[in-house]
Amino acid sequence: MSETFSHRVLPYDGVDDFLAGAVPFLNAGIDAGDRVLVVTGLGSEVLLREALGPGAGEVEFVDANQWYAHPSRTLADCLGDADRLCEQGRRLRVLGEPAWTGRRPLEVLEWQRVEAIVNVAFAETGAAILCPYARTLPAGVVASARRTHPETLRGEQALDNPSYVDPWAYSAMCDQEALPDAPARAERLDIVRPDLFWLRAWVTDYARRTPLAEEDLQRLLVAVTEVVTNALRHGAPPIVLRMWMEPGELVCEVKDDGFWATDSAFGLIPPRADGPGRFGLWAVRLLCSIVQIRTGKGGTTVRLRLSLPSVPAVVGV
Amino acid sequence: MQRASKSYPAAYAGQIHANLDGQAMDSWFQAERSVNAIRPGDHAWLAFSGEEERAHIIGDFVYDGLATEEKVVYVTDAPPDRLPGVRPRHGIELRSYTDTRQLRVIPREQACLSGRGRFDPDRMLRTLEREVDAAFDQGFRAVRLTTDFSWVLNEPGRSDLSQMLGCEHQFGEAVSPSTMAMAICQVDKHACPQDELVALRDTHEVLVEVNPEFDDGILRIVRTFEPHGLRVEGELDAARHAVFAEKLSLVTHERRRIHLDFSRLRFIDLGGLNLLAHHATGLPTDDGLVLDHLPADVENVIDMVGWHRLPGLARGQERPFPGAGGMAS
Repeated sequence: MSETFSHRVLPYDGVDDFLAGAVPFLNAGIDAGDRVLVVTGLGSEVLLREALGPGAGEVEFVDANQWYAHPSRTLADCLGDADRLCEQGRRLRVLGEPAWTGRRPLEVLEWQRVEAIVNVAFAETGAAILCPYARTLPAGVVASARRTHPETLRGEQALDNPSYVDPWAYSAMCDQEALPDAPARAERLDIVRPDLFWLRAWVTDYARRTPLAEEDLQRLLVAVTEVVTNALRHGAPPIVLRMWMEPGELVCEVKDDGFWATDSAFGLIPPRADGPGRFGLWAVRLLCSIVQIRTGKGGTTVRLRLSLPSVPAVVGV
Repeated sequence: MQRASKSYPAAYAGQIHANLDGQAMDSWFQAERSVNAIRPGDHAWLAFSGEEERAHIIGDFVYDGLATEEKVVYVTDAPPDRLPGVRPRHGIELRSYTDTRQLRVIPREQACLSGRGRFDPDRMLRTLEREVDAAFDQGFRAVRLTTDFSWVLNEPGRSDLSQMLGCEHQFGEAVSPSTMAMAICQVDKHACPQDELVALRDTHEVLVEVNPEFDDGILRIVRTFEPHGLRVEGELDAARHAVFAEKLSLVTHERRRIHLDFSRLRFIDLGGLNLLAHHATGLPTDDGLVLDHLPADVENVIDMVGWHRLPGLARGQERPFPGAGGMAS
């Protein structure tokens, strides 16, 4: 099936606006035999179920907070679903309303980047994705949505978005701002030997003094090994590792003097599932909470951020 | 009894003490040792899965002894050039060693059979004492003893295991304090029921296994025979991908499914996972690579990357129960 991929923003002012865009979109999917997914909060779910009537039985409702748990993981899972359906000649149709409030600015940035990358990643899947944005959201969030969605939906009519930006250009804009310097309290390790056994011992030693969960430690070790291995292979010395704590987060930074090719995908697109592909940097994004990358003439910095458990782990219960 | 401690290799002994808060120090401890690490005082156990495994272990045990001018005593009815588990090696004539009495091949009848032709534990012990004394008088600095006990277990009209256990116990009492004697008791893994095998194994302080294919203190690769494959211990990253790939090729034969025992793998990097998937998809059969005994945090990383992105890799057995490890299982 060669359905055309679509990724539209639905700006809405109140319930009627929302339903006027969402309901025809969902009904079209139900009629066509698409797999129809609604990712939203409880309030919208109740409204939609009522508006769809018996058709609601054909729709899968998913809680937005669960679905939008992690930018790279959510993108990979959803893309996996879209690919599988595409192979079966079906279409994935998603009404996705991210929970924007309560997210930290860095997280918001990463979700906005995902909105842009979706246009590249899903292009061949024929998926239909509609993203409702309430006009009550902060102005910056709505404005960004117009840059990351090729089209805007008004009622049942799709209009080109004049402010739409090429996804890679948008992603580069997300990384425009220089990273603040690592704090003076950061602990530093100069990487001179290619054997990363010592590096992992050092990272483990630091992490064990923090509340980082044990399974996250292994993820961090895999991630930092990958980034340093890349720096050793493709970067330029000196390579320096720094670790420090920020509120709610453990940060691990790898810096080297090399810089990456401008056409690098930065691990933002999940590799295809059907072959041994290279999944290095993409997997690093999966393993960490947030990955920040800055590369240019001044060298390359990769910051791995891992969320710490908000409540200390209970032991021995 | 801290039985879980048995499953740690000698190479990581330093970490065992740290991990178990010294528990290993005051509890009975059964060490696993590769055959080149067997020392005087070791009363070692080998439950072999087949001739291939035995040839790797007993072959090294015998030839290492002869090469370092230690005495080798093999209780068997086979002739010196057809010793069980000792395949011919280029340029080494075993009969020449029997001539110089560095190699003693003693038929069972002389070593451990009663007048009625049945296994006689006392006689076996006297043989041990006699041979150790003789080796001392001859000026050898050590004596290596070995025999295959499988026939005792299969002897017609064998009573219960207690006679054999008693013999092993006394044998251990005789060998352990010795500064000269070391012994490997061989049993065909398939010669007796699992519970008897475990009981016999537990009368030995040392479990002997093949020499590792590779061991640099960080990564250790050991061949396994049942199932066929490798045990990968320690940490695998880019610094050791090449040697790992080489050893993986070594066990890659047609029509034999490869199992990788990851029970003691503490770390594998993404490149290592890629390497596994790449190797698996290039295999002649569709069997792929089976990953056995995955530690939880390693499995967690693979789950996150997605098994579907690692075609050809299959999840094998779960982690073993504590104490169920070792070479008898």
